[in-house]
Amino acid sequence: MMQMNHGNGRRMRRTLIAGGVTAALALSLGGCATASNDAPAAVDGGGLGTADKPVEITMIANDGYAKQWQENMVPEFNKEFPNIKVNIEGVPYGDQLSKTLLEMTAPEPRYDIVMADDNWIPQIASTGGLLDLKAGAAAWTDEDYDWDDFYPAALAAGEWDGKQYGVPTRSNLLMMFTNKSLYEKAGLEAPTPEITWDEYMEQAPKLVQDTDGDGAVDAWAVGTYFVRDSLTPTIWQTILNSNGGKLLDDDGTVAFDNKKGVEALQTQMDLLQYAPPGASTWQFNEPLEAFRQGRLATMFTWGSVYRGTAVDPTTTTLTPEQVGIQTLPVGSASAGAHRGVWSAAISSKSAHPEASWALVQWLTSKAGEKWQSNTLGVFPARQSTLNSTPEQEWLVPVFAAIKEGFEAVDAGQMWRPRMVESDAVQQILADQTGEAIPGQITAQEAVDTMSADITKLLK
Amino acid sequence: MSTLTLRPTRKRLKSRTGANVRIISGVVACFLFLVPVIWMVATSFKLPTDIFTTPPSFFAPITFSNYGSYMDAADIPHRMMNTVIVAIGASVLSVVAGAMAGYALSRLRIKGAATIGVLILVSRGVPPIALAVPMFLVARKLNITDLHITLILAYCTFLIPYVMWLMRSFFLALPKELEESAMIDGTSRLGAFFRIIVPISMPGLISTLIFSVILAWEELLFALVLTNRNAATIPVAIAGMAADTENGAMWGQLAAVGTITVLPLIVFALLVQKWLVKGLAESATKG
Amino acid sequence: MNAIQIAKPISGLAQSKSGRRFQKYRVLDFFDRWTFMVPAAVLLLAVLAYPLLYTVQISFAKLDLATFAPSEWVGWENYATVLTDRGFLNSMKVTAIYLVLALPIQMFLGFGIAFLINAEWRGRGLIRALFLIPMVIVPVVAGGVWKMLLDPLWGVFNWMGSLVGLPTVDWLGDPTLAMVSIVMIDTWRWTPFIVLIASAALMALPQDVFEAAAVDGTRWWQTLRYITMPLLAPIIAATFVVRWLGAVKMFDIALAATRGGPGQSTNVVNLYIYEQAFRSLKFGESSAMAVIILIITVILTLIFLAMSKKLEDRF
Repeated sequence: MMQMNHGNGRRMRRTLIAGGVTAALALSLGGCATASNDAPAAVDGGGLGTADKPVEITMIANDGYAKQWQENMVPEFNKEFPNIKVNIEGVPYGDQLSKTLLEMTAPEPRYDIVMADDNWIPQIASTGGLLDLKAGAAAWTDEDYDWDDFYPAALAAGEWDGKQYGVPTRSNLLMMFTNKSLYEKAGLEAPTPEITWDEYMEQAPKLVQDTDGDGAVDAWAVGTYFVRDSLTPTIWQTILNSNGGKLLDDDGTVAFDNKKGVEALQTQMDLLQYAPPGASTWQFNEPLEAFRQGRLATMFTWGSVYRGTAVDPTTTTLTPEQVGIQTLPVGSASAGAHRGVWSAAISSKSAHPEASWALVQWLTSKAGEKWQSNTLGVFPARQSTLNSTPEQEWLVPVFAAIKEGFEAVDAGQMWRPRMVESDAVQQILADQTGEAIPGQITAQEAVDTMSADITKLLK
Repeated sequence: MSTLTLRPTRKRLKSRTGANVRIISGVVACFLFLVPVIWMVATSFKLPTDIFTTPPSFFAPITFSNYGSYMDAADIPHRMMNTVIVAIGASVLSVVAGAMAGYALSRLRIKGAATIGVLILVSRGVPPIALAVPMFLVARKLNITDLHITLILAYCTFLIPYVMWLMRSFFLALPKELEESAMIDGTSRLGAFFRIIVPISMPGLISTLIFSVILAWEELLFALVLTNRNAATIPVAIAGMAADTENGAMWGQLAAVGTITVLPLIVFALLVQKWLVKGLAESATKG
Repeated sequence: MNAIQIAKPISGLAQSKSGRRFQKYRVLDFFDRWTFMVPAAVLLLAVLAYPLLYTVQISFAKLDLATFAPSEWVGWENYATVLTDRGFLNSMKVTAIYLVLALPIQMFLGFGIAFLINAEWRGRGLIRALFLIPMVIVPVVAGGVWKMLLDPLWGVFNWMGSLVGLPTVDWLGDPTLAMVSIVMIDTWRWTPFIVLIASAALMALPQDVFEAAAVDGTRWWQTLRYITMPLLAPIIAATFVVRWLGAVKMFDIALAATRGGPGQSTNVVNLYIYEQAFRSLKFGESSAMAVIILIITVILTLIFLAMSKKLEDRF
C-alpha cells in the first residue's frame, strides 16, 4: 500500500513535470513566432490562383457585416477573380480586437485579412503582424490604384508610425440625426450644419414636449451614448475637438485637464437632462429605438444607421423627408464629427498575400467602392465616390453630410488616440464618463481622475 | 397508502387541501418566473417597429419574419448542430467522470481523495477569462483549435466540479447497505456502482445532466476564443447579433433566437423526466 | 466510515486465505478505489494545469501581445497595481453586496418552490420543465428582455405601475435599484437551478419516513425540522457551495443588462477582470486579479465546506 502510494506520487510528479515541460516548450515556441514586421512579403503564395489550383483566403471581420460581405461582396469579387475563395468569419464587436490579436500570434495565422476598427491599427501593427501595404504589396498594386483620392482623414485610420497598414473599407462618422417633424411641432426651424452648441442647448428644453396633448411628455430633445462604454466619451471628445481642444498632445501628454475638457464633458452631462427617463443606461441600441419611434428630436450616433432609421420601413416609423443627417453642432473652432473608419489590413504572415491584397484592392478601388456604396449602402472614403451621384436617392444627403464630416474630422483631428494603448485610454475615459453622467462625480473630478490615470498608463 | 385510508376523513380532506394550496402556489410561482419568457416569445413575433412602443403593444400584428431571418443568418443550422454536439458530449463525459469522483468522495475512503476533491471543486474559482487565453494557446500548439473535442474538454473543466459535488451529496443520502450486499456477491466496486448505485440515483443524475447541458449550451467565452467556424456555437452568433455596430440590434430576431434555442432543451428536459420518475420508482421498490 | 464497513467483511474473508492472496487483494482493491477518482482528476489536470500555470506566470510579468508570452518579469508589480486599483477594489465590494443579497434569496426561494411543486400531481413534470426556461435563455437575450421589461419608456413593469398610479421607476439607471435589478434578474435565472436540484433531492427522500410521521400525527413543521431538514442537510449544503461558486463568476447578466453601471455600481469582479483583459488588453494585471480572486474564493469555499461538514455531522 505504502509502496503503491509512493509510486503513485512519483507518477503524479512526473505528470506535473511533463506538464511543465510542455508549458515551457509552448512558451519558447511562442516566443520564436515574432516575425519582423516590415519585411516585404517574399512569396506571392500562389498568386491569384488558377482554375486548377485556386487559393483560399480567410478574413476576420465584425459580425455586423461579415454575412453581408460573404453573401454579396464575395460573389461580386469572384466575377473578376474566380480562383480566389474567400471565407469571412464574423466575431462579436466587443471581443473582436482581443480575438484578432490572439489569432495573429500564430506562426501561420488563420486569417489573411484583418478588419480593424478606427483605433485598432496601432495596437495590431505593433505586434508585427501587419503588412506595410505601400512597401510589401507595391508589386501587386495596380498602377491606377489612386491612394490620393481617399480623404486624408479616412486613409489616416489605416496608418501608424509612418506606414500604411490598412485601407478604408467601411467609413463611418459620428453624426447628428434630426427629426424635422419634432422640430416643427416645437415651432423651431430644423437645424442646419451651422447650428452652434449654444443655440442647440437653448433649443433643447423646447424639444422636450407633449406631442399628443395628453398632458404627459412623450418626446425628448436628444438621445446618445450615456452609459459606461468606450464609445460614450467620443461624444465629449468631439465637443472638445470642435472647441479646438485636444485629448492628448502630439507627444502623448494629457491635454484636456483644463477648462475646455471640463466644459466638453459637462455638455454631454447636460444633454442627459433633455433625454428620456432611463437614458443614463443608453448605449448604441437604445437611442436608435427611441429615435426610430419618433421620440427624439436629435440623436448623436454613427452615420451607418441612417438606412435603418430613415429609409427601411420594416425598422423605422420615419421617412427620409423627416430625418436629417449633418455634422454635430459647431463649437468655438469648427463643426464636429468623429471618425469611425474600418480599415482592411493584411497579415504579414499570410500565406496568400497577393490574393488577399487583390480582394482589398478591388473593394477599395474607385470602381469597387462605388459598387459597394451603391449596392450595399456602405459609406465610401474616396472623394471621387463622394462627389459622384449615388444610385440610391437616400444616399444624396448622406454623401453631403459625410463630406462635411470628413473635412471637420481632418481639421480638428477628431479621432481616438493613435497609439498602442488607444483602447486602454478609451476604457479609462469610459469609466469616469460613466460615473459623471449619472451624477456620481462632477465633471471636474472626472477630468482630474482621467488625466491622472492616463498619465499613469502612458508613463 | 393503506395506512392513509384508515385515517379520519377530516384529516384527509385537510391534507388534500394542503396539497392543492401547494400546487396552486407552485403554479403561480412558475408563472411569475415565466413572465419574461412570455415577453421574449411575444417579441419574437413582432415587427421591429412594434417592439419599442408606449404603451407596450400586446396585440401587435404577428410576423414570422424574425424566425425566417434568423435561420437565414450566418450558418445557424450548422451552429445549432455544433451546440448540440458540444453540450451533449461535454455533459455526458462530465456526468460519468464527475459522478464516479463524487462516489469516491462519498463512499470510498481513499487517502488523498478528499484533497483532490476539494482541489477539483475550487478549480471553479478561477475567472474563466483567465483560462480561455492559455487554453487557446495550448490548443493551437496541439493544432486542435476549432474542433468539437476541444470545446468539450474545455467545458468539462467547469462541469465536472459541479457534477462531482452534487452527486457526492446525493450518494451520501443513499442507504449504506446497498452496495455492501453486491460486493459480498463478488461484484467489483465498479460493477456495483453501475448496476446498483447509478440506477437508484437517477433523479440526481438526470438533474445534474440537465443542468450540465444547460451550462454548456449557453457558454460564450470559451466558444468565442476556441472556435472559428467549424465548431462555432449559437451563443457566439447571438452575441454578434446583439452587438451589431452597423444597424443596431434586431430585438425581434434576438428574441426569435432566444426562443428557438430554448426549445430543444425543454424537449430534452421533458424526455428525460421519464427517467427521473423511473429512477424514483426503482429506488422505491429496492429501498 | 462507510468504506470501512464495506471492507471489513471482505477483508475478514481474505485474511483466512493465504497472505499472498491478501496482498493481491489489497492491490486490486486499491486500484478499484482509485478507478473512481482517476478520470475526473486526470481530465482536469490535463486541461487545467497549463492554463493555471500560465495565469500565475503572467501575473508576475508583462505580456507581449505579439506572442502572448511574458516579455519581462515585474515581480509583484502587477499585484501592487491591482491592489491599489479603485475599480478592482470597488468591484470586489459590489460582488460582495450582490452575493450577500442573491445567495440567501435564491436558496430560500429555490427550496421553497421545490417543496411546493413537489406535491403529488400529474402536471409537476411539466412545471419542472417549464421552470428550467429562465436558465436556458442565453444571457445576452435574457439581459435584453429584462431591459425591455424594466425600461422607463417602453417597459411593461412601469406601464403596469402607471396604471395604478405609481411613479416611473428608472430600474437600471439608479445605482441602488440597478443592484436590486441585477439581483432580481440573477434570482430569476438561477433559482430554477436550485429548484431542480432540490426537487430531485426531495424525490429521492425515503417516503416511508414521511408516511410514518403522518401516521404519528406529527405536525408539518415538526416533520420539516426533525425529518426533512436532517435528510436534506447535505444537499442544501452542496447546492449552496455549487451556487456560490457559480455566483462568484457571474458577469454575463451584468454585462448584458447594465454594463456594470450606472457608474461602477454593478461592476462585479468577473466583469471587471473580463473587461481589463479582453477590452483593455491588460492581461498581466487581470491575471493578478484572477489569482487574487482565486485565492479569496478558495479560502471562502474551504470555510463553507467546513461549515457544511459541521452541518452534515450535526444532523
